[in-house]
Amino acid sequence: MSPNPLSDRFERLAQAIAERVVNLVIDAIDINAVVERVDLDQLIGKVDINQLVAKVDIEQLIERVDVDALIQSVDVDALVRRVNLNAIVSQLDIDSLVEQTELGSIIAKSTTGVLTQVLDLVRSQGVGLDDFVARWTNRILHRKSATLPIGPPMLVARPAPAALPAAGHTEVR
Amino acid sequence: MAMLQPPPPEMTVGRQGHYAGVVSRLVAFGVDIGALWGLYTLGIYAVSLAIQLIGGKSVALSRHQIAGLITLVVWSFVYFAYQWALSGKTIGMALLGLQVVQANGDPIRVRQAITRTLVLPLSVAFLGLGLLMALVQKERRALHDLIAGTAVVYAWDARAARLRWLAQKDPVAPSTRAAIAPPLSGPT
Repeated sequence: MSPNPLSDRFERLAQAIAERVVNLVIDAIDINAVVERVDLDQLIGKVDINQLVAKVDIEQLIERVDVDALIQSVDVDALVRRVNLNAIVSQLDIDSLVEQTELGSIIAKSTTGVLTQVLDLVRSQGVGLDDFVARWTNRILHRKSATLPIGPPMLVARPAPAALPAAGHTEVR
Repeated sequence: MAMLQPPPPEMTVGRQGHYAGVVSRLVAFGVDIGALWGLYTLGIYAVSLAIQLIGGKSVALSRHQIAGLITLVVWSFVYFAYQWALSGKTIGMALLGLQVVQANGDPIRVRQAITRTLVLPLSVAFLGLGLLMALVQKERRALHDLIAGTAVVYAWDARAARLRWLAQKDPVAPSTRAAIAPPLSGPT
C-alpha cells in the first residue's frame, strides 16, 4: 500500500506548528516563578529515597568520580587538626609495639649508648629504692600513699613530658 | 652492655615532675660532694703550680689552712648556688635525673637558689636530720627546701628508659626472625 502524500504533508505541518507553539509557550513561562510556587519539602517528602538509592549503580557512580581531584580539594591540615591524636596514641600498647616490631631495634640503635644505659640503670635503681623506702616509711607512719601529693601542682596538673621547665630557661632576676 | 635487671614496674608511667625520693637525693648529694672536693683539689693544685711556675718558689698548702678553708666555703657556695640558679641541677642531680623547682613547680629563682645554698648546712648539720626530713615530709621536702620554698622532682623520662630497655631485650619480633632465618629442623 502506497502512503497518502496529502496526509504526510498535513502531518509535517501539524508537527511544525506544534513545535512552534510549544517553544512559544516555554518562552512565555517564567520558570523561576513556577519553581518558587512548588513546595519542594512536600515534593521531597513524597519521594522514596531508599527506592531511589536502590536504583543507583554506585559502582558506576564511583568510577565517574575523579578521586585525585577530590583529594586535592581536601584541606588535610585542617582534617588532621581535628583528629585527637592523644586519644589514639593512648590506646596503643607501646611496650608490645617496641618488643614485637623492628621499632625496638631502631630505638636501640638511635638512642642507646653506653652512657645512656648506665644513666638509665643508676636512675631506675634509684627510683626503685626511693619507692621501697617511701613504702616502708608510709607503712610505719600509717599513711596511705594515695593520699600524698605526687608532685608540685604546676607539674603534675599537666602532661608529664611537657611539664618540666626546660633547663637554661630558668627565670633570672 | 646489657642491663642485668629490667627497670622496675613503676617505670611504666612517666615520673617527670614527681617528687624525688630520699635515696636518689642522697646519692646525688654524695656525687656533688665528690665533684666539689675533686674540683677544689684540682683548682688548688693548678693555682699552686701556676705560682710555682711564675714565682719560681713552691707553695706549702698546709701553711694556709684558713685561706684554704675560706676558699673551700666560697667555692662550695658558688658550686651549688650557680648551678641551681642556672638550671636547677647540680652535677650529681643531673646524673640522677633530678631538678630543683619552686614549691609550685615553676623554675627556681636566683634568690631561692642562694637561700637554698646558704641554709643547706643546716640540713647537713645534726647528723643530716634536715636532709632526712625529706623521708617523712609529705612532699619529700628537706629542711632547706622548706626554708627556700623549693622542691626536688624527677626530671628524667623513666618511661623512655623502660622502652629503651625493652628495645634492647628483644628488638626483633619472633615472626620477623623466623622469616629471615627459618629454624633448622631434623637431621641435616
